[in-house]
Amino acid sequence: MSATTVPASGAITAVEAAHNKPSPDSESTRLGFRLTLPAQILVLFIAVFPLLMQLYISLTDWSPLSGIGWWSAWELWNGFANYSDLVSDNRLWGALWRTFVVMIVCVPVEFLLGLALATLFADDFPGKRLFYSILLMPMMVVPAVAGYMFFMLFQSGGPVNDILSTLTGTRIAIAWLSDPTLALVAVMIADIWQWTPLMFLILLAGLVGVPQDQIKAATLLGANAWQRFLTIVLPKMKTIIIIALAIRVIENFKIFDTLYIMTGGGPGVATETISVYIYKVTTQDLIWGYVAAIALAILIVLSFATVFAMKRMAAAREARA
Amino acid sequence: MNRSLSFELFRYAAILLALALTLIPILWMASMAFKPIGEWSATGADLTWWPKEPTLSNFRFIFGESDSSLIVALDRSAAKPILSSLLSATFGTLIAMIAGTAAAYGLSRFGSGQNLPLALTQLRLFPPMAVMIPVMIMWAFLNLTDTWWGLALVYGIVTLPFAFWLMKTFFDDMPREIEEAGLVEGCSRWRVFTRITLPMMRPPLASAALFVFILNWSDYLIALLLTTREWVTVPVYMASLSSSMTGQLYGAKAALGLIAAVPPVIMGIAIQRHLVRGLTFGALKQ
Repeated sequence: MSATTVPASGAITAVEAAHNKPSPDSESTRLGFRLTLPAQILVLFIAVFPLLMQLYISLTDWSPLSGIGWWSAWELWNGFANYSDLVSDNRLWGALWRTFVVMIVCVPVEFLLGLALATLFADDFPGKRLFYSILLMPMMVVPAVAGYMFFMLFQSGGPVNDILSTLTGTRIAIAWLSDPTLALVAVMIADIWQWTPLMFLILLAGLVGVPQDQIKAATLLGANAWQRFLTIVLPKMKTIIIIALAIRVIENFKIFDTLYIMTGGGPGVATETISVYIYKVTTQDLIWGYVAAIALAILIVLSFATVFAMKRMAAAREARA
Repeated sequence: MNRSLSFELFRYAAILLALALTLIPILWMASMAFKPIGEWSATGADLTWWPKEPTLSNFRFIFGESDSSLIVALDRSAAKPILSSLLSATFGTLIAMIAGTAAAYGLSRFGSGQNLPLALTQLRLFPPMAVMIPVMIMWAFLNLTDTWWGLALVYGIVTLPFAFWLMKTFFDDMPREIEEAGLVEGCSRWRVFTRITLPMMRPPLASAALFVFILNWSDYLIALLLTTREWVTVPVYMASLSSSMTGQLYGAKAALGLIAAVPPVIMGIAIQRHLVRGLTFGALKQ
């Protein structure tokens, strides 16, 4: 918790540089190949092969009820019909929109709360370690269990209404999870509860890595706390902030567990996000050819996001090395 | 720095508020787990934050004891789902750690597998929901559906990126001199890896394994799609708990939720130091 090793960009000595180079001898090459083989096989098995299979099925009308094996799916070939259906699938676009709304609310709120907490934890004070551990707990709770916690909290006779009743002095019995708007709010609150700690954790690690001498210099020059924060701390944390936001944006896009346990995507489709939508089409409508097309389209879009995030992380690692 | 009294007061007030908001949902579930059925759905004025008559009947109920107040007994106890979660998460962790550690060492020392960083990062970023159709088809074909070992295999692959990146940053940080000494003394590179490097890396290996285990233990979606009855895991089993007589079995679910939530929280606090590294793929360390 104390020492940090963020951008300590020291000069790499010649000796270290030599070690980092792959040794050319054949023993290392062979061993390196063998060591990476299991991971390569797993990647082929779960990523490359399934993706090809997904592409194949997405061009057909195949479903588990078709009565033929997936390898014979070409008998139900329908070209790019699934992909053109996708464009006019209002339920899909609705789900994407709701996923986007959840993201645009949750990620900034988590970021600001996490940053505020991290600022409070920047220097030492009594009880810091204990408070830190407790504040991290939500992100370690199994998401499905967290979903169930909030399902209970938001019952009409539950604690949330009880607290609101006490605060306002009137009896409040809102049926949170059966109201289309409030259900979405409840789901967002659960997400913010669970993932603000992650922002806090990452941002605090970045914050304590900001060089103290620059802050001291600025203080001597008469900069107040707010000015120091804006002109020194935030720019120094830029990469870390981008990484933290990228992680949450990507994870938030997948939102399923808590939400599905709390509302099942309902009432109606009020909280149906993209993962919930795909899950329902997969398990209820069983039109797997179509699901494969949706999934593949999403993967292609996300691949671009990945390459972007990778470059950022590689830059941060190099800055540190 | 700002050491004024008003700042300290503000800081403690803000932190106490954050602590309260953090703990209320957890404490409410814990309290619910020890409440008898009469207190489960008490509304409004009767709402109790603390069980009036604490009982272990919810825990006994999920492990198969019939409860007269619920009229029905569960058709099966929580023991098998807990076993399923344990087996699939443990073996999934083993697969990820073995493949990930070996690959991380191969890349870190010998520059093998240059494609792995990108491939594994993509694997981590993709929503599982978007690759599950082919996996479900393959698993049905291989007779792996609804087995803990089939689930463990998926977990092993899904968490491989975390194991790989964590171990890679640990290997990158490790001083090479000791390995060189082993080579000078005539050990083969494999011997250096197994006899010198791995024993030295025991603490990082343990942290990485715990990190990966938490991720596997936390899964809901994959188990929901790949298990149907025999080997459902704890979260899937929990979601299915309800009875036609009483509807939601609040207390029983809360008891099960508590059982599921405690191990990862303890493990997570134990490996706090490495959480940032694990979550950011080594881009940032604490």
